[in-house]
Amino acid sequence: MLSSGIRSHRKAYVGFITALAFIWALIGAPILIGGIIEMILPLDSLKPLLQLIFPGLMRTVVLFIWMLLLLFPLSFALQEIKIGQWEIFLSSNVRTREIMAGTFLGKIPLFGLIVVFLAPLLIAPLALAFEVNILGQTLIYGVIIVMALGTIWLSNFIASAVQARLGDSSRGNDMAKALAMVIGIIVIIPMYGLMFFLPAMSEIMGMNAFLVLPSTWFADTMSWLAVTFNGVGISDLVVYDAMLQLDLLTSSLLMGGFVLATVGAALVAADRIFTIDAGARTEVITTIGKENVFFCGLRRICPGSFGSLMVTNFKDFFRKAQNLSKVFYGIVLATILPVIMTSINVEYGQLSEIFFMIIMMLSLVGSFPFAGVGFLESKNQLWIIQGAPSGGRRFVRSRIAAQVLICIPLALVPPIVMSFFIRMTLWELLMVLGFGCMAVLGAMFIATGVTALNPNYEDTKSPAHQANMMASVLLSEFSIMGGLLCWLIFTLVFNIDLMGVMVGLFGPGNFMYGITFIGLVIEWMIGGLLVWAGMRSLSRPDS
Amino acid sequence: MITMARNGTVIRTEGLSKSFGSVQAVRDLNLEVSSGSRFGFLGPNGAGKTTTVRVLSGLLKQTSGNATVCGFDVNTQRDAIKAATGLLPESPGLYSKLSAVEFLEFIGALHGRNGEALNRRIDSLLSILGLEGRQNDLLESYSSGMKQKVLVASTLLHEPRLVFLDEPTSRLDPAASALVKDLILVLAEETETSFFICTHQTSFAEDVCDVIGILNAGQLVAHDSPAGIIENLNVSDLEEAYLKIVGGHVDKAALLAWR
Repeated sequence: MLSSGIRSHRKAYVGFITALAFIWALIGAPILIGGIIEMILPLDSLKPLLQLIFPGLMRTVVLFIWMLLLLFPLSFALQEIKIGQWEIFLSSNVRTREIMAGTFLGKIPLFGLIVVFLAPLLIAPLALAFEVNILGQTLIYGVIIVMALGTIWLSNFIASAVQARLGDSSRGNDMAKALAMVIGIIVIIPMYGLMFFLPAMSEIMGMNAFLVLPSTWFADTMSWLAVTFNGVGISDLVVYDAMLQLDLLTSSLLMGGFVLATVGAALVAADRIFTIDAGARTEVITTIGKENVFFCGLRRICPGSFGSLMVTNFKDFFRKAQNLSKVFYGIVLATILPVIMTSINVEYGQLSEIFFMIIMMLSLVGSFPFAGVGFLESKNQLWIIQGAPSGGRRFVRSRIAAQVLICIPLALVPPIVMSFFIRMTLWELLMVLGFGCMAVLGAMFIATGVTALNPNYEDTKSPAHQANMMASVLLSEFSIMGGLLCWLIFTLVFNIDLMGVMVGLFGPGNFMYGITFIGLVIEWMIGGLLVWAGMRSLSRPDS
Repeated sequence: MITMARNGTVIRTEGLSKSFGSVQAVRDLNLEVSSGSRFGFLGPNGAGKTTTVRVLSGLLKQTSGNATVCGFDVNTQRDAIKAATGLLPESPGLYSKLSAVEFLEFIGALHGRNGEALNRRIDSLLSILGLEGRQNDLLESYSSGMKQKVLVASTLLHEPRLVFLDEPTSRLDPAASALVKDLILVLAEETETSFFICTHQTSFAEDVCDVIGILNAGQLVAHDSPAGIIENLNVSDLEEAYLKIVGGHVDKAALLAWR
């Protein structure tokens, strides 16, 4: 809607954005990055070090960007299956190659803008370290453009293939959303790698390990261009020969060959990709068997209609692949970060040092699976629920009761896995489990309340979904930080020694536990308030 | 209940209006539907039929005017209205990952029902609607007609006194439409259930409904028995009467004007 107004002035906008990109690349980014580097160390003294580490660093950073460009459009595309649009295309006189090219072109503006903004940040340190001249910088940006376009093309091709296989059905959409979520983990893990393993990564993998990755060919070509067009007087290239192993010509040929091969393969395979299968709806019919022991037990404990609602909510939650994917994602995320931190830095060896962070991660586990989607499938479903007396209220209550049970394993798995790596005592484990349960439940209340206040149904691309996800995660994280905030306010504004009060209450050395506890109380209060407001909102007739 | 028994009216609206911003969906609607009747609410797309149903079933607040449904006030007794009525929405809002039986159990539980009595009712409704062979399959694998049948079952599950049906047969094949038609007639006759049916299908309305209201641009422009409307307008059937009231006769030459 907002961008549709641009269409009538598109030439002016294109000119404006191009000019902005040039200014950013040639002036803005170098000043910004140069300033940051100068803040750390004078650039002149840092240059020799930068010249030495840059080719290796470049490979890791470009690998990350390459994966981002490959997987994010893929993840984004999987959130919305567009088989219906294909039917319209294919029923018209349009060639499959043209559909492929059209969908590719459609993705360029958004991802192109991201590249235009990020690429100068990547290139600026390289240009500063080697004092690369304008021709060299232009060629490097050329490589980035080729890489970006080639990768988006490949991603577009893979997304189309996956979409066609899944088909446009409720089942296919669910599987696609689950896949989109799992793809996120593949991006997150290298990001952690970048944050924590960067210095050790080259040693562990060895530079040779990088050579098989297409991203390395792009990175090495850029490094070679920086070295070749340097302004610092490097003439002996033996060091870089040994470091990069493949010369400029070979790297460029591999890079160009890879892009041409993906373009060629996609064009040749276009006919096979854009075929509409019978779809998951007609291929698979799932028949439900007898209820398992858990559901029978739940019905015995809770025999009324509320128990029936809980059982139905359970079934709905666990049968959706996207929910399972989100639970898996949350658990992996919560487990991996403390483990990485303890494994690489002895400073974090004490549990009390990372306790606060573990609880924050568990809070994320509690908010993520229940925020945004998986609550209501459509507005029509809401009408049906509201059609029953106090339907909205009863629905939210039973949903929360079922989710409390789902939260128990979510709160148990990460601390137990972590206890093996961090070597917790039994008392410490019990502390993490207790506080962790509170964090997961509090975050679940917040996520459910936020989603009930603003249901986004199954539309993962809608602004409402983004808002729900952001609000749920941020509220659950910041509410836990509320304890720290209280400490700061009391100490700085009111001059009250809250730390002393905490030590008096929780015992010496337990300050962090006390602060975390206060944060959890705040999280529960916000969660309770949001659930109450959400129930009211769902029960109220529309106006 | 007492009010309804006393005056025999299941729906009464007085100057009911609903607007969405500058769009006036329903204008000054004055309507009375007798208890036990099968009221057909006809009108073109966007005439305000669905909005009226949503206001009457307590899902939407009216902008002005008042209404009572089964003797209960739409402003203050929404839960009582919901307990006494059943609503079949225009589009299916089913849970894709539940089977028909599980979905109906969910709806029954929302209405406070459970146990053997509910299970028996579910089985018999699914059997009547011809879904007994697929009742344990996930709803995601159902055709749109089958989903519509499940929704019809969910509407009747808690034995409502008044049933709102919004386009009940729009997704059904002729055999299933005939089944729903007979179901409405039998229920109205045997159990005195009242029906408020929104539809575009004039033949369906003519066969099923004993009273017809035609809504155009939010206003009630005709209210009579099907025969009465046909006679008043001096036409041969309800479709012709509808087209005469609402407009829609297209000149054949105009149909090819775009070529």
